[in-house]
Amino acid sequence: MSLWQAILAFVVTAPGIVFGTFSLLWLLGWAPTERLLSRITGLTFSASTLGIAALVWRVTSPLSGPAAVTVAFGSWFAVGDYHFPLVLIADRLSLPFLALAAVLSGLIGQFSVTYLHREAGFLRFFLLLHLFAFGSLLAFAAGSFDLLAAGWEIVGITSVLLIGFFQLRPAPVENGLRVFGVYRACDIGLLVGIFAMHHWAGTASFYGSFPVLTGTRAVIVCLLLLLAASGKAAQVPFSGWLPRAMEGPTPSSAIFYGAISIHAGAYLLLRAAPLLARSALASAIVILIGLATAVQGAAAGRVSADAKTSLAYATLTQVGIVFIEIGCGWRWIAVAHILGNATVRTMQFLRAPSMLHDYHQMHSAIGDDVSTTDKQIEDLLLPDRLQLWFYRWAFDRGHLDTILDRWVVDPLIQCSAYLGKLDRTGIRWATVRFRNMAPISFKGRAGQRGG
Amino acid sequence: MFVPESIFRTPFLTAISVAVPWAAAALVVVYRQHLRVIACVAALVSISASAVLLGEAPKGNSLYQALMLLFSCLTFGAMLLLARRDCTVGTIAGILFLLGSTLLAYSSENLLVLFAAWILTVLPFMWPGWFRARTWRPFVGLLVSSCALALAIGLISSATGVVAIDGLRGRSPGSVGAFALLLIAVICRKGILPVQAWVADAAEGGPAIPTALLFNGHFGALLVAKVIVPFFPDMDSLFPILSYLAIGTAVYVAIRALGENSPRRLLSFVALSQSACILSGLESRTAQGIAGAQVHWFVVTVSTAALFGILRLLEVRFGENLTASKHLGLAEHAPRLAVSFAIFGLALVGLPGTLGFCSQDLLIHGMLTSHPLTGLLLPIATAMNAVSIFRLFTRLFLGKHRTGFTVMADALPRERWILAAGILFVVLSGLFPNAIVAY
Repeated sequence: MSLWQAILAFVVTAPGIVFGTFSLLWLLGWAPTERLLSRITGLTFSASTLGIAALVWRVTSPLSGPAAVTVAFGSWFAVGDYHFPLVLIADRLSLPFLALAAVLSGLIGQFSVTYLHREAGFLRFFLLLHLFAFGSLLAFAAGSFDLLAAGWEIVGITSVLLIGFFQLRPAPVENGLRVFGVYRACDIGLLVGIFAMHHWAGTASFYGSFPVLTGTRAVIVCLLLLLAASGKAAQVPFSGWLPRAMEGPTPSSAIFYGAISIHAGAYLLLRAAPLLARSALASAIVILIGLATAVQGAAAGRVSADAKTSLAYATLTQVGIVFIEIGCGWRWIAVAHILGNATVRTMQFLRAPSMLHDYHQMHSAIGDDVSTTDKQIEDLLLPDRLQLWFYRWAFDRGHLDTILDRWVVDPLIQCSAYLGKLDRTGIRWATVRFRNMAPISFKGRAGQRGG
Repeated sequence: MFVPESIFRTPFLTAISVAVPWAAAALVVVYRQHLRVIACVAALVSISASAVLLGEAPKGNSLYQALMLLFSCLTFGAMLLLARRDCTVGTIAGILFLLGSTLLAYSSENLLVLFAAWILTVLPFMWPGWFRARTWRPFVGLLVSSCALALAIGLISSATGVVAIDGLRGRSPGSVGAFALLLIAVICRKGILPVQAWVADAAEGGPAIPTALLFNGHFGALLVAKVIVPFFPDMDSLFPILSYLAIGTAVYVAIRALGENSPRRLLSFVALSQSACILSGLESRTAQGIAGAQVHWFVVTVSTAALFGILRLLEVRFGENLTASKHLGLAEHAPRLAVSFAIFGLALVGLPGTLGFCSQDLLIHGMLTSHPLTGLLLPIATAMNAVSIFRLFTRLFLGKHRTGFTVMADALPRERWILAAGILFVVLSGLFPNAIVAY
């Protein structure tokens, strides 16, 4: 293994090792102090950032050899002709994302040392931050869709656990559950899409030979990946989970929904860009979804009453535009857009609590509200009746949650209840007959618990 | 020191691993003291014997030895997780009896021995006052499965004249009737549609940890792997029935779990849904599907046993009125139990970094290769199970600041160490899955 490969392996695994070590020690009864934790966090992400800087120099330097650093650890597991490739890659697409993940994770870590000082979940937050960083670095450095899916799932579960960070209140926990449901449902697209690539193209790797698919197969795979990307990036019709995710602490909102997690969907599509280029239909659908999300995000953001939700919708609008750019094939514009959007939104999220405090102080000082509600663009463009409808539509966030509830969640719950009723009816019917026939007696009833 | 070579011979070690737990069960009944110590020593002897057997077995053909080791470790863990109030003579003796009988089934090379072990494992769950659930469906399910197996073995032996499993190789072991009876035995023992309901009844109405051990013997899958798949290749057209029923069960109970509020029932639904995937993987007859099913066997066994164990610990500490219909907020008082529950639960549904991710990946590839349309239901069922298990976790552990009581013990040191060992197993084997896949 060369020095560059060792650096890449270190960058990806370092946060995972920190997470694993501290978690195990805690499970066995030991908890680190805030100071130790913050120092190790700082050291880890500083070293990762330096490592990524070195990799950027290596990959972009005109004197260097191939324009990517790859580390092949062989197969994670292999059965028959199927194997799960364990390959990390730092190329011109993954490096900006790796840098974003490492730098912002480090910044958020340092910010949170003060922000969450003496908070009951201090250790939990930092453990999850490390796990998240590991997941996102793994997803961005993955050399195949298989490995990307592993990092992808880790990012999903950490984000859900951080939404429920304030675990003593029911609302964050319920919202976390909702987000988890959306993630898991959409991840089916990723899993089946990867299988389809293996099945039809014989590989799901973008290291060496990219899966070559054309026609209907390319469309199917692209649409499956789009399902996963839309879920992770909160695109229409899954946007409803984004405001719910704002229940988490501000630093985690900043890194997840301002920067890394929300852009992971776009990264997946960027990786699948060669497939998208062969499928005009899938590209058109990506553009349509991006457009719908941008419109819905802009409208919902304008009527949001709290700062974090407004920022989340502002991010969402930009991610919608990024999807449009990807659909149009403007990959590098999309990458630049993501980098800009992620850094600006992170700063805005982190500034939001103190900005509100500043506003309150300013209002107190001048004795009045400094916010203005002059004529808005809607007043100029839309007639009054339409404005009211548009306001209601935006206020209910495009009715997307209502639609999902009515057409997916409620029928499933009703189906579950119906099947339960069927079970109980069966019990009653058979109990009457069986009791008369059985030589032994059962005095219990369903629902009675054993020890 | 001279050690006779015969000690390391397979029959002797197998006999040790089976007989010591039975002898310990008898000792517990007679001696009635130091129950947990005796049980742990017996389980450790079984672990040691199984480990040596596994070491001796040829690699790639040592599934049953690996399962023997797994079940011995599981029983050892169960002994440590068992709450003091559950540590009665009957429970300890029953668990040890179950251990010996299960190891006998795994190691058996004879249909009659397999049947005897099958009967012995269900006996404590049919005996009044032992592990029998208070409702009738578990009794009937286990009884029907045993009768079906007895008839199937009768048909096979009358058709071939042999009962040794090795002796069946190269022969036609029986008609469609024998095959159908074996399927009925599998369906009833495993709780596959349409007789899935007894599993939840047993989980709710029986003792938690022994019932979890009964489920995790996976005798239905054992019968499929040991008898049905190798000896009925000419029933090619009938095999998919099992797969469709298993996938149907996985989806059906996954939907049931979405609306269930009794933690034990919910957990049993998720466990059943995930373990049904083992059958469909075995039936897929693709290399990935079979390997995935075997790895999943390990995941389901460890995870569901741990989850039932943690649930029982919560019942003992908090009372038996646990429910998933409202938030209980127990993580504040029992954070280590909460974290362990989350890790085992997520491992069960395929969290990356755990063995569950590897098994799900292989299963999905195997199933989609052999049954592209029904195979699609597998990731859907897993997604629903993930939501259910996460819902149970959030309802039990999060969402409420409890002020009603001030003292509720978190995991005790013995519980903590065994849970940490379980977590290490699912995580380390998830990071290096080839070690498990190779078996």
